[in-house]
Amino acid sequence: MENNPSEELLVARAKEGDHAALSQLVVNYSSRIYHLGLRLSGSRQDAEDILQETFLIMVKKIGQFQGKSSFYTWLYRIAVNVGLHKLKSKPRKYDHISIDDPDFERISSEAASEWPKFDYDVVNDRRFRQKLDRLIEKLPEKYRTVFILRDLHELSTEDTSRILQITPSNAKIRLMRARNFLKEHLENMIKAEVST
Amino acid sequence: MKVNENLIREICEYMGSDLNSAPCKLIREHMEACHNCEVYVDKIKKTIEIYRYADRQEELPDSVSKKLFACLHLDDLTKNCNP
Repeated sequence: MENNPSEELLVARAKEGDHAALSQLVVNYSSRIYHLGLRLSGSRQDAEDILQETFLIMVKKIGQFQGKSSFYTWLYRIAVNVGLHKLKSKPRKYDHISIDDPDFERISSEAASEWPKFDYDVVNDRRFRQKLDRLIEKLPEKYRTVFILRDLHELSTEDTSRILQITPSNAKIRLMRARNFLKEHLENMIKAEVST
Repeated sequence: MKVNENLIREICEYMGSDLNSAPCKLIREHMEACHNCEVYVDKIKKTIEIYRYADRQEELPDSVSKKLFACLHLDDLTKNCNP
């Protein structure tokens, strides 16, 4: 994602209190922030709350936005902070699980078995999507946030590390572990799905 | 084994590293002889694709969008809004 000149103008106008510019920024980012909230919280109601709170803060504080980072990085940081704050106020859905690095020795020594042919229509099935949701919710927040930002929202490592205020190396390690965890479990889910 | 240039590029991008960086050169050397790694990377890619696909099935509901704009009534940000 890149800041473009038209967005810079939009942000400049919004900072001066231009209602149309503010509305346009909300239009441009509301879907992304809703999806971010949905994946962070796993709940539509919480996603809606995160969406509202994020844009309330944006409208109130956009005058303080100095342009040191890109606008979307600034907005995503607000949304992530709102989302994580919300999660802290709720009981954990799942017990702590340990997340390991991929076992590269095993990967390179065992015979590689490819995934069975997978029809993406399966993802349209609500039951399968709920399984996907539960799986990503099992990931501890620090891994889940990186996976969401890097892989689902396609932000760069640098932007992700700025938003989460962690080092780029840390972002990479968390991403590798998150991907490996999801892959391992998804593989079992798909095999079960194909065999039924 | 012939190295799949696109695959190397993708792995390096996944790692957030430059194609000519030292870690990527090591990966290139390894991939020349390791089919299993190719399969592993393919599974990671599919995992990401499946989650992206699932996200695309979930749209921002119109009702939520309308409520958001009502909530952000710019003349009065705090009233009528209780997230």
